[in-house]
Amino acid sequence: MSRDARFTRALPYAIVGAAAGYLYFVASNFQFHARAGTLGPDFWPEAILTLTIAACGYEVVKIAAFGARAGEVGGVLEEIVEESAGKHADTRPISAPVESHPWLLLVGMGATILYVLAVPRLGFFLATTTYLAAFMVIGGYRRWGVIAAVSLIGTLLLLFIFMKLVYVSLPIGQEPFLQVTLFLMQVMGIR
Amino acid sequence: MEGILSNLAVGFVHVFQPVNFLVLAIGIILGLLVAVLPGLTLVMGVVLALPFTYSMEVIPAIILLTAMYISGTYAGAWTSILFHVPGEPIDVPLLWDGYQMARKGRAAQALGWTLLSAFAGGMVAAVVMVLLAQPVARIALTFSTPEYFAILFFGLSSVVSLGGSSLTNALISLFAGLLIATVGVDDTYGTHRFTFNVPILSDGIDYLVVMVGAYGLGEVFLRLEQGFKSVPLDAVGKIRTRLPRLREVLATKMTFLRGSATGIIVGLVPGAGATVSSFLSYGIEGQYGRRRQKLGTGIPEGIIAPQTAATASVGGAIIPLVTMGIPGSGATAIILGAFLLHGLQPGPQVFQTSSHIIYAMFASVFVGIVVMCAIGYFATKYMVKVLAFPEVIVSAYVVMMCILGAFAARNNITDVWLVAIFGVLGYLFERFKFPITPLVLGVILGPLAESSFMTSMISYSNDWTVFFTRPISGPIMLIAILTLLYPVFRRMRQRMKQRIASQ
Repeated sequence: MSRDARFTRALPYAIVGAAAGYLYFVASNFQFHARAGTLGPDFWPEAILTLTIAACGYEVVKIAAFGARAGEVGGVLEEIVEESAGKHADTRPISAPVESHPWLLLVGMGATILYVLAVPRLGFFLATTTYLAAFMVIGGYRRWGVIAAVSLIGTLLLLFIFMKLVYVSLPIGQEPFLQVTLFLMQVMGIR
Repeated sequence: MEGILSNLAVGFVHVFQPVNFLVLAIGIILGLLVAVLPGLTLVMGVVLALPFTYSMEVIPAIILLTAMYISGTYAGAWTSILFHVPGEPIDVPLLWDGYQMARKGRAAQALGWTLLSAFAGGMVAAVVMVLLAQPVARIALTFSTPEYFAILFFGLSSVVSLGGSSLTNALISLFAGLLIATVGVDDTYGTHRFTFNVPILSDGIDYLVVMVGAYGLGEVFLRLEQGFKSVPLDAVGKIRTRLPRLREVLATKMTFLRGSATGIIVGLVPGAGATVSSFLSYGIEGQYGRRRQKLGTGIPEGIIAPQTAATASVGGAIIPLVTMGIPGSGATAIILGAFLLHGLQPGPQVFQTSSHIIYAMFASVFVGIVVMCAIGYFATKYMVKVLAFPEVIVSAYVVMMCILGAFAARNNITDVWLVAIFGVLGYLFERFKFPITPLVLGVILGPLAESSFMTSMISYSNDWTVFFTRPISGPIMLIAILTLLYPVFRRMRQRMKQRIASQ
């Protein structure tokens, strides 16, 4: 295993370990009045963080020292599945080779974050209709009529169910978008 | 015994009330659809149904989620057998004999065996659940905090020992979950822990937010990265179910019994749900079955073993939930959430204070299995058609339901941000092969584990040996440690075998 490959494999553990180290520092500075003979509120998180740092340290050292030879101790379920599947290699589920579209993922995540940002301003109806349509387009769906119908009808249905039946006060938005939500609420008989 | 039966009768009365029965039927249909639909798993389905229960009474809310849980263990088998597409990981073993049987032109028989297996496994487990629950609750009433901590420690150990391709990753995932559970104001000292001056974090992070984000949103992000697909369906019009003859059933009675027993026992263990039951039961059939040599060639035993165990695990998993308030699986964790949302804490006392709710839940398992099998018998042909539904549309609505579910709990947009954060975290966990179940169970069981540990320390003057010296907690702690070390021993044994073989 090359040095770069070892670095890439060890990196997640190093990051988690470093984050745990920082949180340990935060936990050790919790403000409280200590009581004699009683464990403080920092004990439990510090114990967990110590174990996390130990687990990450173990993985980093293992990868650095043994590289590709560093074996993994798998969970029991994994072994049961592998053992069973190994005997039936010819009847594995139909699946195409796993593709990877990191840009789609980033755009999808970005759209979700934008939605969360926009929903208090645009209100539930406008933000959700746009988001649902955008998500389907990002996901590669191109039947425009279906996209429009599914996002519009679906959002109206969700608005009706949650505001009229489940009594959840969904975001209504700010002016001028507020008027759209108020109009729909009036039409649906939502008060 | 008489008390149990009369309570159960009251439970049936509740279930057969028109509204509750309608909710049950809807739950069964939704569970079946979730199991068939691409991009939706059983746990995701139950998570997404939760917001609809906020305004319901407690009994229909619990009935809805329980019904979805039961039927979610069954319908994925249809697509495994007919199209070679397992709806859930639970259904992978059904590819080996179920699909083989269908390829030989006996799909109707394969579906018949699946239906009968789900019925038998579910019913046996339901009977055991009813018989065991009250005695277990009575024993649990005698437990003190060290015993509770030992049980929780065992639960968390078994989750780590079972899950994922790496024991270290499973441990890190669990620690992350336990740490998330510490966020908020500490009960004993009133100290702000990891709140970083964000007001809503003072109330802590609700485990439902973590579940919705990690299971729901994280899974959608992963599928988005891999590209959404749709499955072409052939020959849907020819689908029907043919039940086996009594003679054939009697010839396989031991497989039914082994599968049911495996499902119940595995269901009782926290973290080990229907998937483990299904694989383990198939493995046991391969070891002890009368026709083990023919397993994998399309014989009924290869269908009965995984399906009975998968459905039987539901009854097993409900026992620790209602008797000790410890959810054993993702789905039971959500049902626990529904109980808590309605101001009811499951545990040994619940049999004295709200037994009618618990027995309504038990009765809904019996009725749910019957309704599920009736729908399965008549409607398979129509329900499998949803498999052709575009995955991208389903996923868009999954995201929406995740967001709505998080928002509706406290009417706070910060929870939606938390769901988005845990969605990204869930994706990263999947991407870097850190199992999600230990994270989620860590968040759920963390507060219980911490409070029972700290109370024990206060009661026993910080003497940690108390967990090992008490007659009940000691053996449980020992079993938990052995469970945790088992994968290491197994690995060492395999290495020794390989070394001997290479010499």
